[in-house]
Amino acid sequence: MKSMRVKLAMALIPLGIIIAAVPANTTKQYKLTAVQLLEEIKDGTQFFTPDAVAEMVIQKDPTLQLIDVRSKDEYEKFHLSGAINIPLSDILSPDNEYILDQDVKMNIFYSNGSTKANEAWMVLRQLGYENIYVLQGGMNYWAETIMNPEKPASSSPDDEFAKYDFRKGASSALGGGTLESTSGSVPSAPKPVIKKRPKKKRAAGGC
Amino acid sequence: MSKNSNKKYWNPYMGGVLLGLVLLAAFYVSGRGLGASGAVKSAVVTGVQTVAPSHIESNEYYQKYNKSHPGGPLHNWLVWEMLGVIVGGFVSGAMSGRLKWKVEHSPKITSKTRLIFAAIGGVFFGFGSQLGRGCTSGSALSGMAVMSLGGFITMAFIFGTAFAFAYFARKLWI
Amino acid sequence: MGPLVVYDIISANTNLLLAFIVGIGFGFVLESSGFSSSRTLAGMFYGYDTTVLKVFFTAAIVAMLGLLFFSLFGWIDLNLIYINPTFLWSAIVGGAIMGIGFILGGFCPGTAVCAFSIGKLDALMFIGGLIVGILIFTEGFPLWKGLFYAENMGTPTMDKFFGIPQGLFALLMILVAFGMFYVGDWAEKKFPRDEY
Repeated sequence: MKSMRVKLAMALIPLGIIIAAVPANTTKQYKLTAVQLLEEIKDGTQFFTPDAVAEMVIQKDPTLQLIDVRSKDEYEKFHLSGAINIPLSDILSPDNEYILDQDVKMNIFYSNGSTKANEAWMVLRQLGYENIYVLQGGMNYWAETIMNPEKPASSSPDDEFAKYDFRKGASSALGGGTLESTSGSVPSAPKPVIKKRPKKKRAAGGC
Repeated sequence: MSKNSNKKYWNPYMGGVLLGLVLLAAFYVSGRGLGASGAVKSAVVTGVQTVAPSHIESNEYYQKYNKSHPGGPLHNWLVWEMLGVIVGGFVSGAMSGRLKWKVEHSPKITSKTRLIFAAIGGVFFGFGSQLGRGCTSGSALSGMAVMSLGGFITMAFIFGTAFAFAYFARKLWI
Repeated sequence: MGPLVVYDIISANTNLLLAFIVGIGFGFVLESSGFSSSRTLAGMFYGYDTTVLKVFFTAAIVAMLGLLFFSLFGWIDLNLIYINPTFLWSAIVGGAIMGIGFILGGFCPGTAVCAFSIGKLDALMFIGGLIVGILIFTEGFPLWKGLFYAENMGTPTMDKFFGIPQGLFALLMILVAFGMFYVGDWAEKKFPRDEY
């Protein structure tokens, strides 16, 4: 009995010393497999059109959180109204975790184009973060569509005009261009559909 | 001395290591530890549901249980685990020739006394396991393995109280 | 990457099958270690048989070490492991009531089922008592609801509570366990049990 105790102690105590000596594994584990991520990329569920985002900005949707992933300098020069700045290199910093990893707000990343924002999305999405999206086309496309919308040809279908009206309205509401409406009212853009993703939960317990 | 009867049992340290590995397997497979009283609770809830379904509706605790266990008792992890325990215990007992209907008791008390106290002990344990959110295996053992504060508290109070009352119950055992 | 079921590596039904297999292992180890005997279990409290102490704590430290090493190797995500919530008062009072049940009944729920599987009739009575106890708790739930939900501390773990790394806590736990095993072996010599 005693010898068994000594043997066990000789096995377990060194293991305990090892585990106490090595730093705990705090690496964030990938929550999505490469295949799952590829599926989401193929579906493009992460993209929000500038129209949908503009609509939310105008409506002052409280769940919207625009995140500028460009550098601090670029952010200070110009950024979308209400956006906060988390440069791409800082997205894994623990200070930002509470902003990024949550399930209340819709975090929409943007950069000049889509690339940086999409990179941020991919990294965080793989960690299983919820409610993160990308502004389609980034600031460039935003400027093109919202700030300086192109008037559709007179032969275009009605909804082209409606879109144009909305963009003109949005542009003026957001402080760009001049209000020049073709019909006077600002039709509301279709509400963005938020796709619910299954959330990984702790295993349920209970004895 | 008790040497003879003890020899048939495994060395406790070996048993402990193997039990630890079983517990680890449970965590690896399903992210939760072992448990026992939860399975009995499942059986109780199912029983009540069969006998008096309307009663379930009016009781908050049953409602809470049903909400957290969709799919009924046959989809309950602990129920299947306890069915496994019956099989595993039976196989082990069969292998070492311990299968026998009997009432184990101290020579100082009768079988009847032992049975009565076993039942009383069961009532206490059943009640306590619900209040303490788990029994020795579910709360104390599994809780300690994941370093849960609650697991350590429950463990300390189970064994502490049992030690404190051991003197008064000594006639039952020695 | 574990836990398997959380990562959808295995289906819900496979999980139940594995629960059954894990249960077989649990039952086999309990029985083989002598946990099917109420006198072995109760012996813990009189010092004549400290099997329970040894098995229980060895299992806890082995599983604890295993989880930490699995996490270190990236085999299991500890964030997804169920940690039982701590409600201070219900843990204390519930634990104390279970302690009384333990010393009177000589079993705990898991060991009672295990003992019943090899034909212990006192274990059957104990299980009957368990059912009654659970029924009393459920039926009278409004009476102890306040106690049940009092002092919710969330899911604190010992390492966070004391502000030390997990690994260090595990090491301390191992040292404490071996200290207790030493005392246990000493007590068995000091309080030998008469054969019955």
